[in-house]
Amino acid sequence: MRKISNIVVCNFFLLSSLFAINFSAYCQNNTQIRGFVDVTSAIKNEKLSFALGEQDLFITSELNDRFSFLGESVFKFTSGSPTTFSVSIERIIVKYNYAGNHNILIGKHHTPINYWNDTYHHGRVFFPTIYRPILFDAHIIPLHTTGISFQGQNLGDLRFGYDLMIGNGIGSTDVLDNDKRKSITAAIHAKPADGLRIGVSWYNDMISKGSKEHDGDHIYNWDIHQNLFTGSVAYFGDKVEVLSEITAGRDKTDTTGIKNSLAAYLYGGVKIKEKYVPYFRLDRLHFQEGEIFFDKDNKTSVVIGFRYNINYLTAVKLEYQYLHSENNGNTNSVTAQVAIGF
Amino acid sequence: MKRQPKILSINGTFLVAPLLIWAGLIIFSQQSSLVVISNVKGAPASMKMAELRSVMKGERQRWNDGTKVNIFLMKTTTDLGRVTCDKVYKMSSDRVKRFWLELTFGGKANAPTFCNSADELESLVAQNPGSIGILDKSNGKKDTKVILIDGKESF
Repeated sequence: MRKISNIVVCNFFLLSSLFAINFSAYCQNNTQIRGFVDVTSAIKNEKLSFALGEQDLFITSELNDRFSFLGESVFKFTSGSPTTFSVSIERIIVKYNYAGNHNILIGKHHTPINYWNDTYHHGRVFFPTIYRPILFDAHIIPLHTTGISFQGQNLGDLRFGYDLMIGNGIGSTDVLDNDKRKSITAAIHAKPADGLRIGVSWYNDMISKGSKEHDGDHIYNWDIHQNLFTGSVAYFGDKVEVLSEITAGRDKTDTTGIKNSLAAYLYGGVKIKEKYVPYFRLDRLHFQEGEIFFDKDNKTSVVIGFRYNINYLTAVKLEYQYLHSENNGNTNSVTAQVAIGF
Repeated sequence: MKRQPKILSINGTFLVAPLLIWAGLIIFSQQSSLVVISNVKGAPASMKMAELRSVMKGERQRWNDGTKVNIFLMKTTTDLGRVTCDKVYKMSSDRVKRFWLELTFGGKANAPTFCNSADELESLVAQNPGSIGILDKSNGKKDTKVILIDGKESF
């Protein structure tokens, strides 16, 4: 029954969005609809598999001089669903530009906690590698926050930017907070040169006992006071691409005390004639003994790949990955992906 | 005098034609100068090139008088669009399209309007306060003005 009501809500949002598109397209003629999808094939454990990625429907619309809308809905494979597919609302943001480059955003956001989560979203054609860094698999980054955000961009000569977000926090739904405490995200960045962005952020939340993990079934049996600190350096120039991020997690419970975790990755790529980019990515996850919130599995990963940007809407990637997992041992895989926008 | 075999003549045509087109594009790119026009409301009378680039990259949401910045560009498939990509963005057409897609997809900026013709672009700039656009020449349409870039009408 719950699933049916979720589908009804999703359909309502989709229909509302489509109605908004038609209305706005007629009035403003500045509504954009885009889609993104990817397919992969991978050789892992001596077996070749083909896989559908997410199909992402993306809409932006300028409602008037001050208000704009952004919506992102994803259709993806979900094993537990009766149809083996599900629809999820990834972002619904109403933005109000109140002065200059300062905005108020309300809705469901991708938490602006690190560069990757704030930049790439679900369009795989934009990803520099096939998959996200492995810190996302360990539930270290709170992907979404439903709430209100104050945002400034490109301020001054250093093109300074800030985000201050207050939201429902981990364990909440998109329509109801599960406790009285709000999550707080504070992020600042600067873009001192073309292609260069340096940023730091902080995330604070009290995760209540009984909360369910994002995109998973695990239920937390303790109140967890969480702080995340991140730092990132990104440079995407004409010839070289570098992206490095580090995240320090600090989870505190009454029974386990404070447990520190560290996750980092370094991506580097070299552009050959703009379209061809050989690249690598190194990932490292390290959790303190007794960590109970993150998926505690110390991992090291090395990715070596090649990206061919056929055009701005089509990218083909081929990757080899070596993954060492403390819990599952070593894995070698080769993956190819075609990612498109339409 | 020995006549050239027909097949060589055909191959010659195949060789020469792309060269001529390529040379023509280079000459167009080098000779074509650009003019920045705006609606009479919003944009200032003159700008530095660095300021223009910043505006055209969506880094500015409002002009000093509070009017919203609206960007109008020629489609990147047109010659004028390609020259704009080269001279203003210092990027290929493909990279400019990707640049805007990433910005709008990330919710960081509103997408510019890409026009099919210079006339369409000039008309839209004239109709929308706060608009700015790039052309090869201005026809002086009502409610538009030419913005001086580094003190010059064209660059």
